[in-house]
Amino acid sequence: MSIPFTLNGKPTVYEGSAMDRLSDILRRDFQCPGVKSGCNEGECGACSVILDGVLVNACMVAAGRAYGTEIVTIEGFRETAQFAVLDQAFGETGAVQCGFCTPGMILAAACILQKNPDPTETEIRDGLSGNMCRCTGYNAIVNAVALAAKEGRGLW
Amino acid sequence: MVNGYAPQTLKEALEIVRHKDVTPYGGGTDLMVAHGRSGQYLFLHRIPELQTISEDDTYLRLGAGCTFTQVAEHPATPAILKEAIGRIAAPAIRNLGTIGGNIGNGSAKADSVLVFFALDAKLRLANADGERIVSIQGFYKGRKELDLAPDELIVEVLLPRKMPEYYVYHKVGARAALAISRLSFAGLWTVEDGIITACATAFGAIEQTVVRLPEVDALLVGTPVADLERVGVEYLAAYDAALNPIDGRISAAYRKRVCMNLLAGFLAEMRGA
Repeated sequence: MSIPFTLNGKPTVYEGSAMDRLSDILRRDFQCPGVKSGCNEGECGACSVILDGVLVNACMVAAGRAYGTEIVTIEGFRETAQFAVLDQAFGETGAVQCGFCTPGMILAAACILQKNPDPTETEIRDGLSGNMCRCTGYNAIVNAVALAAKEGRGLW
Repeated sequence: MVNGYAPQTLKEALEIVRHKDVTPYGGGTDLMVAHGRSGQYLFLHRIPELQTISEDDTYLRLGAGCTFTQVAEHPATPAILKEAIGRIAAPAIRNLGTIGGNIGNGSAKADSVLVFFALDAKLRLANADGERIVSIQGFYKGRKELDLAPDELIVEVLLPRKMPEYYVYHKVGARAALAISRLSFAGLWTVEDGIITACATAFGAIEQTVVRLPEVDALLVGTPVADLERVGVEYLAAYDAALNPIDGRISAAYRKRVCMNLLAGFLAEMRGA
């Protein structure tokens, strides 16, 4: 028996162990290298993906937990109009340096705005609190999300 | 599925735990940290009966498979539980972690469990033959020692709808997000006509299980708020004698001192100071 799920809009199946980490299989078997494996303990957020509409750490998901779910990684999200706004905003505010945390940050930002198109700074910081960045000091990323909220009004 | 089961009904899941050696998988956020390659998981996310939240005259009934986010966003969830959940890890973890998993993990540091102790919650457990309801205090026998048979699953958390009116909640951690509790405290009380008519407190992360001492809290019940300063001395002394924090990553002496500070703050809140 295999594990069926939808990845970036396409129905797919995983034939390996239900105990494998989703972050590992997305990178290895499904060619999604934007899912970064940082800590494998749920503490850094670099492996963030959207599972059934909410942000999760893919390292904290066993393959069997993906059974029947819809998963979006940065590879799928980058095709959306929302991504274009976030891409622009992250660039304009200098919210990207080494880039390792960026896929997770973009997906976390998307989930913040999906839930709340006009977030306060506190709400943005809470929404990003599971995503570590060792370069920017966070303020640029918070500014990027606020800018994306403004520029993308009506999109979320 | 290799190394796992993903049943769609509770009945199916209970048959699997009866006959197979499986680890129930709630949100996975603890299991995946200590991730091994052996064993088999019983995935519970496809079972609708475990994801419901409902109310009857006596209880708010939280399905064990509800995530922290689902519980926090439900309009009937008590404010103290919402606040405690808001301090658990970060949104992506709260979107996965379940209350049943937090309980079944057996840790005294589980932040939702502290609130369930303070609210005198009950648990509905089931096996293929039937079900039973136990108090959360009775369910925890020690660290990782639970009153849960190998063929049973945690199905629901029952929160009494009648609960004290006011609360304080404190989590002491090393940082704001993604912090394991060094110590946590929940205190609830009711004042009617200037008299304390209900008091319930609990400490997390200081002993092998959450500490809940109803006999100590009973000292305050019936006390006029005006007498709290005097009776509070007796209350603190009783707590001081009863608490035996353990040494761990945090020293027992530090834990004890913070507990007593939090209790003094709790009494001050009750006095309206």
